[in-house]
Amino acid sequence: MLGYICKYAPVEVLESMGVSMKRIEPSVTSFNQADVLMHPNVCSFAKGVLEDVLENDYEGVLLTTCCDSIRRLYDVLKQKLPDKFIYILDTPRINKDAGIALYESRIRAMIKAYEEFSGKTFSEEKLGELLKEREDQENLHQKKHAVNIGILGARADESMKSILEEKGVNVAFDLTCTGLARKLLYEKDAPLTGYTRGLLGQFPCMRMEEAANRDRLIRTYADSVDGVLYHTVQFCDNYSYEYAWLKEILQKPMLLLETDNTKQSYGQILTRIEAFLESLPKNKPHKTGQTGAKDGGPVIGKKAGKNKEENKMYVLGIDSGSTSTNAVIMDENRKLISFSVVRTGAKSGESAERILKEILKKANLSREDISYIVSTGYGRVSIPFADENVTEISCHGRGAHYFNPAVRTILDIGGQDSKGIRLNEKGEVVDFVMNDKCAAGTGRFLEMIARTLEVEIDELGAIALQSKTDIEITSMCSVFAESEVISLIANNREKADIANGICRAIANKSYSLLKRVGMEPEFMMTGGVAKNPGVVRAVEEKIGAKLYICPEPEIVGAVGAALYALEQWQNER
Amino acid sequence: MANVVDLYIDYVKKQAISQPEKSWDKMVLGFQANKLKTKLLPKKDISKGYQKLESMMMSFVADALLKEESYVWGNIFAPCEIMECLGLHTLSIECLSCYLTGYHLEDYFIDFSQNSGIAPTLCSYHKTFVGAADSGVIPNPAYAVTTSLSCDGNLNTFRYLEKKKGVPFTLLDIPYEADEASVEYLADQLKEMTMKMADRLGKKFEEDKLKEVLRIENETRQELKRFFQLQKEHFYPGELISQLYLMMGTHLLMGRKDFLELIRFMNEDIRTYPKFEGKRILWVHLLPFYQETLRSYFNSSPDYQILASDIIMDFGGTLDTEEPFRALAQKLIQNIFNGSYEHKADILCGLADELKPDAVIHFCHWGCKQASGGSILLNERMQEKNIPMLILDGDGIDKRNSHDGQIKTRLEAFLEMIQTESKKQTQIRKAEEMEGTAC
Repeated sequence: MLGYICKYAPVEVLESMGVSMKRIEPSVTSFNQADVLMHPNVCSFAKGVLEDVLENDYEGVLLTTCCDSIRRLYDVLKQKLPDKFIYILDTPRINKDAGIALYESRIRAMIKAYEEFSGKTFSEEKLGELLKEREDQENLHQKKHAVNIGILGARADESMKSILEEKGVNVAFDLTCTGLARKLLYEKDAPLTGYTRGLLGQFPCMRMEEAANRDRLIRTYADSVDGVLYHTVQFCDNYSYEYAWLKEILQKPMLLLETDNTKQSYGQILTRIEAFLESLPKNKPHKTGQTGAKDGGPVIGKKAGKNKEENKMYVLGIDSGSTSTNAVIMDENRKLISFSVVRTGAKSGESAERILKEILKKANLSREDISYIVSTGYGRVSIPFADENVTEISCHGRGAHYFNPAVRTILDIGGQDSKGIRLNEKGEVVDFVMNDKCAAGTGRFLEMIARTLEVEIDELGAIALQSKTDIEITSMCSVFAESEVISLIANNREKADIANGICRAIANKSYSLLKRVGMEPEFMMTGGVAKNPGVVRAVEEKIGAKLYICPEPEIVGAVGAALYALEQWQNER
Repeated sequence: MANVVDLYIDYVKKQAISQPEKSWDKMVLGFQANKLKTKLLPKKDISKGYQKLESMMMSFVADALLKEESYVWGNIFAPCEIMECLGLHTLSIECLSCYLTGYHLEDYFIDFSQNSGIAPTLCSYHKTFVGAADSGVIPNPAYAVTTSLSCDGNLNTFRYLEKKKGVPFTLLDIPYEADEASVEYLADQLKEMTMKMADRLGKKFEEDKLKEVLRIENETRQELKRFFQLQKEHFYPGELISQLYLMMGTHLLMGRKDFLELIRFMNEDIRTYPKFEGKRILWVHLLPFYQETLRSYFNSSPDYQILASDIIMDFGGTLDTEEPFRALAQKLIQNIFNGSYEHKADILCGLADELKPDAVIHFCHWGCKQASGGSILLNERMQEKNIPMLILDGDGIDKRNSHDGQIKTRLEAFLEMIQTESKKQTQIRKAEEMEGTAC
């Protein structure tokens, strides 16, 4: 079995020689070997392939000179696996005649090398027969009543498609290199020349010179769907250019989704895709099909507590975040009855049970009084008693709108990620950008810095407000920033100035998030970090506008969830 | 004086942000002033040759920018020889990005491009330029030329600039394999590009002129090789940025008489400097010219001198002046950055054999996959040759990606290591001599 990765690889040539060809789609848990043999900043896909090839038993790997990372992958594989067939095909970027002639000669050289390696022989006639058998396939598969999504950008892996499938979304087109049907040309007199022409004539990827066709096709295709998912791979920069360009010209909603070919990124991909689907006009938050309250059946106003008004109904919104779990109870008039905030422990399910007890006690209600429960946040799927789950992005939108309907742009900084969310006048999410996998500018980051500065996290903001001299914290990375802070302490700089420097560094990062999502006033800040006056001031200075902050900025997501619950309950009625 | 300069820089920076389209003339004026400064008041701590080099590079960019029709945008590998024959200068976007740092605008431009959706993991030279063009600061030239060598960013950046700013460009696709088929493929592209540009820009192309340019280029390359050898022997004070200026020269002014004369001057001048007694460093890849620790160790230092770098001499052959297009094709195909990493490592090992450095430093520039991805392989090759090598991570332009604490610790530990190693060697040698005397 030979592995390959690129759509320009002459797969059929090798198949006609009786070789079984496998497209490598790495899904790894770590880059332990790749980080040692290559460099951490090489594209995640190339690193994933390296891990996959070293772990599995391939006869060899056929690569193309498709990009810088793959060229270096070849060098490393060639050196580490000298007994295998590790081959790189010099693939032209020009698909005119000169490129075709050159590529054909390269393919012939590859055939010769493989014949020598394996003892197998190539026959052009056999290739011709194989090509005749296979036909082109149509790419666009639109469905009228489903939500139609198109996928663009870098290679999309199976997990992304299976999420879409589970959500009942129809993938109308997939123009990434893994989604396209192969374009096979059969020319009777010169099968290999015709085949090469077909290979280079495929829908061009970003490494190819001829991209005008690409632009035209993308515009046509994108017009026919409800939304576009633009996928990029971490440390592969080529597709971001197209995203930046499309963002300006495309009328349809578009989600930028970056993945890194690791199994761990599944949760983040899921949240982003779900939030995106929720934001599409054609869609509504989905049902989870979870057991719990739903199976027991919601009972309205059955038991009356002391302080409870007769025949009133209540809903619960619960936001299971990485640092805290927050819950609110709301009545049918959208009035907040009570709220609660607890630290999320190692198991989000347990914290949820804990907060449920606590908030019911606070509200003087019992479990049966709650008619509908919606969960949100990273741990939203691990809450067994929720009737439904909605992403924290949609919930923050709703929640923000509830507190202040004038809000159009939200900055949410939580424990482990930060988000920029843009809303329309109804409080629906129009666009969002998330920053995660990187602690820089998050609550965790502030905790770490507070520890380094030997102050309480709650004091950090107040201390920052006393700063008199500006210090620039230049490092983007939280680990580097921490060592920068240590150097500043060593240089006897004032704590207040350092703390303010950190707040300004967070403000800079937040500013770029907000810029990317579009800076439409009014602005609101949510999440635990909104309680830090130092960060709030720094962000306000940076954006040149006031931030609206509600009395309990941590519960905005939970309020949004409660609003969804209320709406859902009313719909069911 | 310093205050006036700082005030002007600050003023231009603010205007570039608030009124981008109005800031360009002031920026060019600043470059003109700097050109005069490097001529009249050159840096005192560096050698005469490097002073002249700095002044030449300042004039080259400042003068070209004065006349928009006098230049095309290129990447650093665009064949400046052809543009020279068409009466055009090649201003590489990498170099222009460096010049923009003079106004401390790199952070702003990098953030600007990232905010429009460009990947944060992209090379900072490209991000700076994309941001500068996209924000409306830099005016458009009539044409641009890029090569697929040596990284993915080239085609994509130029294509983006064409789409967003309307600057037409030619991509030269540099094939990976170094063989006859590749030379033919590329020579045809070079010819086609030359004719297209001459036609489009109303320029006259004469092949004889190109032959003459290549002849001068061959001579310059020989002089440069001599210079590297001399730099091994003499202490010739320069700065990190001097290496970048030299790289600019060998890529944007190659084939010009004034550049040849400068290198000849440097070869004469260097002989008047004292013997170099410190450690000789072979530098691999880009140099973060702003980085404080590296500057403190390498700028005009009698202890550590950078002998040469792969970015300056990325092609060492002789061009066949009778077949200029084929020769230029060969130059690009055999470039150290093209083909397999083994090819690069072989050339660097050859360079190490010739120049006998005490150590190699490989700087992994943020976003540069083609260089960083092979750094471990190069390390293994240098180990085989018993040459200590240090891999430093950072950014050639964006300070925020180069952490001084990290660079400082690694560099100092490495320098301590090579000093200890050389002391050991001296002790062994002395012991052997003693033994010899005793016998």
